[in-house]
Formats: sequence, structure tokens, C-alpha cells
Amino acid sequence: MPKLVIVCVEDEPDVLEAVVRELEPLEDLFDVEAAEDAADARSVLHRVWDGGDEVGVIFCDHIMPGETGVDLLVEMQNDDKWRVTRKVLLTGQAGLDATVKAVNEADLAHYIAKPWETNELVEVAKDQMTRYVIDRDLNPYPYLKYLDADLLGDQLRRHAGSDG
Amino acid sequence: MTKLASISGKELSGWVAGLGALILFPMLSLEGLNEAGSITLGVFVFAAVFWITEPVPIYVTSLAVILLQVLFLSDKGLTADLLTAEGSEVSYKNFFGTLAHPILILFLGGFSLARAAEKFALDRNLTRILLKPFGQQPTRVALGVMLVTATLSAFMSNTATTAMMMTVALPIVAKVSKTDPFRALIALSIPVGANIGGIATPIGTPPNAVALAAMAKEGIVIPFSTWMMLAAPLVIICLLLSWVGMCRMFKPQLEKFEMEIEGTFDTSRQAWGLYIVFAVTVGLWVTEKLHGIPSSIVAFIPMVFLPAFGVLDNMDLRSLAWEVLFLVAGGISLGISLQGTGVAAWMIGLVSWDAFSLFGLVILFALVGYTVGNLISNTVAATILVPIAITLLGSEGEMGPSVIVPILVIGIIVSFCMILPISTPPNAIALSTGLIETKDLAKAGFLVGVLGFIGTLVFGFLIWPLLL
Repeated sequence: MPKLVIVCVEDEPDVLEAVVRELEPLEDLFDVEAAEDAADARSVLHRVWDGGDEVGVIFCDHIMPGETGVDLLVEMQNDDKWRVTRKVLLTGQAGLDATVKAVNEADLAHYIAKPWETNELVEVAKDQMTRYVIDRDLNPYPYLKYLDADLLGDQLRRHAGSDG
Repeated sequence: MTKLASISGKELSGWVAGLGALILFPMLSLEGLNEAGSITLGVFVFAAVFWITEPVPIYVTSLAVILLQVLFLSDKGLTADLLTAEGSEVSYKNFFGTLAHPILILFLGGFSLARAAEKFALDRNLTRILLKPFGQQPTRVALGVMLVTATLSAFMSNTATTAMMMTVALPIVAKVSKTDPFRALIALSIPVGANIGGIATPIGTPPNAVALAAMAKEGIVIPFSTWMMLAAPLVIICLLLSWVGMCRMFKPQLEKFEMEIEGTFDTSRQAWGLYIVFAVTVGLWVTEKLHGIPSSIVAFIPMVFLPAFGVLDNMDLRSLAWEVLFLVAGGISLGISLQGTGVAAWMIGLVSWDAFSLFGLVILFALVGYTVGNLISNTVAATILVPIAITLLGSEGEMGPSVIVPILVIGIIVSFCMILPISTPPNAIALSTGLIETKDLAKAGFLVGVLGFIGTLVFGFLIWPLLL
């Protein structure tokens, strides 16, 4: 069973720390990795890939020094290794154009406007991770305690097999 | 799909030994076996090797058995002239007919009801209602989970019930402290309940079908309610004792636990259709003795009315566990040749059984069944053993008019086999949740096995003969 990873990209150290802290309840099942800009994120992505694990969800800020978040997401979308990763924009400053680009070119899965509400990150992470497990057709049982059983429906049945 | 490059040593030896037996045995002229017997022996060894080593899924082996039989053991196959000459040909329709064996129709009806119950969350809602009376004391909650799982599993497949219960229980149990054995207790209560619960009714689990089909072949038809009367008390006793033992092994630390499940009964028109069909079918099943309509005929009612009321659509029908029916059909079909050509009797003749009393033989079969059932599919274990047991014990003649008890013992004891993750699919699910380790499963599985083994033999020797 591959380890599923949540990557958080954010240039403000305080905000990044807050994001990671909020996702802590999921840490016994999913790895949470922090990155401070697009370049850092890219090295995290490669490290996870090389380790045989999978980035299920990425939470990404838009305006950062260097490359923008949306450009990073588009780049991931165009790479087979991370096309299936669920991409979430976590930002207060993405303009309409950047957002449209994220939706059209990076297949943006979710948009969270800063400041986010309590539990919002955890709920979005669970929901997106559920969809990732469905898209990848992974055995859902190891992740079941944090995933949305209703969404998994058929997959739970299929992976359960049948009496024999 | 098995890729050639990734073929395992076990699979490779399976291919070689299985196909080797298939080719070799018909070429040997073994004393006491005619042509049909030699071919049957080859098919039997092939099937046993393939079922155990699983180079292909077990249901594929079953289908292959039927193909081999119609090709080489039937009146229309390649060897028809040869068989006709020695008078051992069997109509190919008999082999194909096993695919629509009344016991499989009974299961098909059960599958359709279970699918409909899943679709409209009836299973989940029943769980919600039935768990309430067990309160909030952790060990009582575990008892509730175990009993409710067993109850549903008596009518649905063990695997589907486990899957549903896990989705209900896990998100709630995940909130409990990671060091509390209560997590393991719940995660184990579900497969234990599902495996044992499957014994309670004829449709609960496929090994029951193997036993019922074997009895039907001997002209013994057991009504639904009779099976329940024989099996349900054993199920209840084993569940309660398992619960007591497991609460000691995995003593909960927390003092209160609320199993809160959300949901409301579906009140759509289709859901009502399901409730009515479900009630009528189960009602007719348990009252078989009053009206005399066999349970397999009753089982065809939901097959017609669930789609008619729009409860199930063609996609639902396609999603039924057809492969389980194929698996059992292949076993029934193999039994026709094993007994018909005298191979079963021939194999029994290889060993001198005089040293064994009848009780000794039943215990021996129970022991073999229990051991094999832990290692391979429970259904396959029963499939291989039952025809041999019938031939041997039937010839003893001491069981009175029937061989019901030993067949029941084998058919039921395999359902208590749950020591290893591979023993049953519910075990595999429980393990993959990450809440338990293999050793936890082995501990609980061993307890269940001992209780089930002793319990089944006590019922078989002391109680069932009084009820039959």
C-alpha cells in the first residue's frame, strides 16, 4: 500500500505552520509535507515519487516569490506523475485570470479563500483524498477511517471481493 | 490478471501439477477404474491443485471443471464413443444444469435481496436500529456489533456485510485512543460476526450451498427453517462465547462509547417495493414447512419482483456475485462424476478405514476440513471433502437413513476457519483497515476455531440427531 502524501505550499512561514497544524489529525494515515515555494514543492514532489509514494492532494498558495502557485499546478497537470493529484488553491490573492487558468489548465479540484474556517482544511483534505483513492482505484479499506464511505460506495464493494 | 513475468513459484507448480494430472491420469490404467473414472480422477486432481495453488481465480477453475466434463465425460463430448462403449456416459445437460441448480437459484435470490438492501441502505439502517439497545458500555457495544453483523450476514454475503459494517464503524472507532484495545475489539467483532453469522441460514455463505446440494443429490431436502433450527443455536452460542473470550483478550480501556450512526429509512416508492419483497421472501422462507414451497422457488420471487418494482436495474443484476455461483456449480458438477464413476469410492478404497469408528471418521473429516479451510477457500474445502465424506460415510450405513449430520458438520465447520488473513475475505478486510495486526486476527481466529470445532461436533453428535 503506497503512503499517501498531502503537500502544502505557502511562502508565509506562519501560515504554512498553521496549515500543517490543522492537518495534524490526519497524520497517522497521511504524510503531510510542507514547502515554502514552487521550487521547494517540486523537490518534495520528486522525493515522494522516488520513494514510491503518492501525492494525493496539494494545497497551494498562488502569489509566492518566484513561480506562482497556479503555474506549479499547471506544470503538475501536464506531467503524468502528478496529473491525478487533487489540486487545491489556498489563496487570498489569485485574480480571475489566474483562477480561470487553474480551473482550465490544472483541473483545479477546489478553491479555498483565505482566511479559511476551522476544520475547512481537514474536510477538504478528506474529501479530496477520497476522490484520489477512487480515481486511483486504491484499496479503500486502509484509509477508510478518514474517507467518505458514501462516496466510496461501489469501490468498497468491489475491493471487498466476494465470499468464496 | 497473472502476467507471465510475475508468475509465482506456487502458481507455476500449480500449472505443472494440475495440467500434468489432467493428462497423466487418463493415460494410466489404474485397477478398479474404467475410462470415465480415470478421466474423472484427472479432472479431480487438476481441480484440487488449481483450487489450492490458484494459478487462476477459483471460480475459473470451477468453470474449467465443467468444460472438461462436457468435453471428456459427457455423451456429446470428444470421448462420447469410448464412454458409451463402457456405459459410463452422462448427458452434458447434467453438467451444464449445475449452473442453474436449485440451491444456486436460492443463492441468486439471496444475492438480489442483498444488493437491493445495500442500494437502499436497508442494511445500514437496520444496523442503526439494532445497535441502539446495546447502550454505551464498550463491551456491550462490541456484542451489539458482533450480533448485528451476524444477523445481517445470515442473509447477505459475509464479505458484503463486513464491508458495510466497517464503513459504519470505522469512522467512529477512529476517534478512540490508538492505544485502546477497544479498536481491535470492534475491528475483530465484525469479521467474527460475519463468518459465524453466515452459518445461520442456508443462504448465509457458499459452503452451506455445497452441503445442501450434496444432500439434495442424496434426495434429502432441508427446509430453510429446519436449517435455521439446526444451525442458529450453534451460531448464537459460539458468538456469545467468542464475545466473552475476545473481551478478555482485548479489554477496552474507555468507559463509555457511543455508536452513533446517522441515517433515515428510505421512503421512496422503490424502497417500499424492496421492504415488501424482502418481508414476503424471508417470510415465505421461514414458513416453508407450513406452505411447502421449497426455498429455491421462493428465492425466484425477488428475482422477478425487485426488477419489476424498479428496485434493481440491469446494472445491479450484472453486479451480483455470479462468480460465487460458478464456483459452487463447478463443485457440484465435479461431485456428479466423482460419485457417478466410482472415483470417490475408489479413492476411499486406497485407505483402510477399519480402524476408525463412525465418530472417529466424522472427527477426522472435521479436523481435515478445519485445517484445509484455514488455508484455502472455505467453499473449496467443503467442495473437495463432501463427496468423499458422503461416499465413505454413506457406505458405513451406520448413520441411519441419511448422511445429513456429517455433511452438515463439514459444511459448517469450514465457516469457523478464520485464523489467517487469507482464510476468508472478511479477515482480509479487517486486516487492511490497519486497526488490527495479523497476530490479533490469529488470536481471535483461534478462539473462534476451537469454539466452533467443539461446538459443531457437540451439536453434530448430541443435538442434531435428536432434531432430525
